[in-house]
Amino acid sequence: MRPNALVGFAAAILGGLYTIQVHRLPKAIAGDASSPVSFPLALGLLMTVLGILLVLQEARHGLTNLEGVKRPAFTAPSLRTIFRTVAASLLYAFLFERLGFFVSTLGFLGTLLYLINGRRAWKLNAALALGFTLGAWALFVQLFELPLP
Amino acid sequence: MEFGSLLLKGFSVALTPVNLAWLLGGSILGTLFGMIPGFGPSTGIALLLPLCLGLRPETALIAMAAIYYGAMFGGSRSSILMNVPGDSAAVASCFDGYPMARNGQAEAALAVSAVASLMGGLFASVAFTLLALPAARIALRFGPPETFCLMVFSLAATAAVSRENLLKGLISLVLGLMISTVGLDSPSGVSRFTFGLEQLQTGFSFVVVILGIYGFSEVLINLETLALETARPLQLEFRWIQISMAHWRRSIGPILRQSPVGFLIGILPGAGAGIAALRAYRNEKKRSPHPEEFGKGAVEGLAAPEAANNACSIGAMLPMMTLGVPGSGTAAVMLGGLLLCGLQPGPLLFEPQPGIGWAVIASLFLGNFACAVINLPLAGFLVRILSIPPKAFYPFVVAVSFLGLYTVNFSVTDLYLLVGMGICGYLMKKFRIPTGPLVLASVVGSSVESSFRQSLELSGGSPSIFFRSSISSGLLLAAALALAWPLVAGWWSRWKVSKPAERPGE
Repeated sequence: MRPNALVGFAAAILGGLYTIQVHRLPKAIAGDASSPVSFPLALGLLMTVLGILLVLQEARHGLTNLEGVKRPAFTAPSLRTIFRTVAASLLYAFLFERLGFFVSTLGFLGTLLYLINGRRAWKLNAALALGFTLGAWALFVQLFELPLP
Repeated sequence: MEFGSLLLKGFSVALTPVNLAWLLGGSILGTLFGMIPGFGPSTGIALLLPLCLGLRPETALIAMAAIYYGAMFGGSRSSILMNVPGDSAAVASCFDGYPMARNGQAEAALAVSAVASLMGGLFASVAFTLLALPAARIALRFGPPETFCLMVFSLAATAAVSRENLLKGLISLVLGLMISTVGLDSPSGVSRFTFGLEQLQTGFSFVVVILGIYGFSEVLINLETLALETARPLQLEFRWIQISMAHWRRSIGPILRQSPVGFLIGILPGAGAGIAALRAYRNEKKRSPHPEEFGKGAVEGLAAPEAANNACSIGAMLPMMTLGVPGSGTAAVMLGGLLLCGLQPGPLLFEPQPGIGWAVIASLFLGNFACAVINLPLAGFLVRILSIPPKAFYPFVVAVSFLGLYTVNFSVTDLYLLVGMGICGYLMKKFRIPTGPLVLASVVGSSVESSFRQSLELSGGSPSIFFRSSISSGLLLAAALALAWPLVAGWWSRWKVSKPAERPGE
């Protein structure tokens, strides 16, 4: 399918789901009952219409006609790196308050540096991770007096 | 006279040691962020955003502005030396900057670009000074309907100028507005789209969107090319970097002609420094008696885009600071910084308490000189950063995004949302959906809704209020024209290339 048509379908579905959610919102008790609903309702409908228009625009060329269309390229190695980075980030978010800033940040940075620089540069990776963690602690906690767990 | 005394007052604030230190730091940081391919002013300011909480508002704004124009200075360094633009604003500088460097004129190219940026920046700073107060005074007369219509115009223009499909620009815009509706609706006390999660009651912070789009997703996109990143030959030894009289004579005309062009394009919502630089380049090539020299190291072809992109970056701050309406993604990030500092961007920065607005204006003059110093005598030292492959910076950008975001609300939920927003930004970039409108809408979304609701309350629910004043109807008309423009332009260009025989009436 043409990439823009995919975007159109996704937008129409998102707009539809959002509009359904708008209808499930409670009405305001005081003042105009529909005031918290009217703006989101307009957005939901607009998103649905825009999605449909984009699909229709693409349908003129044939929804599956990919001639002259630049498709988004997803290669296995790059997706693997991206998946690992996202997984490491989610794990970091999960552990940040549980393990505290120092341990979690050191581990997170070490993981990311390993993903990028590889195992051979482990000494450099370790030094950079430690240096950054200490530097960030000095900046946030000491200089700006922002508490970190 | 009024300008003079207000500007002097601004200088007295900008020249305090703390503000000067942040001005210099922001200029260096901006230059470096501009240099590193894959990053730009938006990422630089986005990463600094959480630190705004620990700074005085004028200091935060001075630092953010310095990063913005610093990146315009720095962006050309990698264009000239490596033929890799630091960001989109520096694309046009590759055309003649790199050939100059290849011809053994790297020092001259670096000097011409720095001087052109300085002149463009100074021109724009003077124009900003002259226009700020009148613009702020006009904005003071705006009520909720005019404010709503102004924001609609700004958002529509940003979506329309998006280089991709207009519909995709609008989808991005509506998505940003949708994100801004998440959380507790303060006037009515109704929870919207929180799905029972208490953590979402306070809403989807625009800082999450900014750092997700300009920080995390930039890294994800750059990770794709990790295997392709190879060390490029880079000149690291330079003779004295200075502009010769011959180069000055060839540069001054393009600088003076294209700085106003850049400034005006900057004021227009949506059109960024990249567009300004390319327009300036085309203008100079068109009027040159030797257009064949362009692309082979013409000094004019480097001076014009450099002056225009820096003038554009300062022009883009004018509507953001005086009207409270950002005209670009980067200006939206700055607006977010102001909101984080507890300030309401707009005319109140200039009247009745002019301290902040004029301090920033004064800092524009000082900062441009600081950037010129950084990019002339210190250029040979700073460009060494280009020998470090950009991939080395990715882990730190991600880590700073996480840590900075955490210190805004001290909420781990925001960290999960950041990852989600990063993936969303990554997919948007892969499917060529512009992200600028999303960022812009998420920052101003709550203001758009509140001015919309206030207007309807004033009119008893009648939307005719948006057409009652000439200002609001004019702005809505402008929004409609902005949306229609890409369609008309597309039709016009197709008509122009069609054979005369096929044209109706010929």
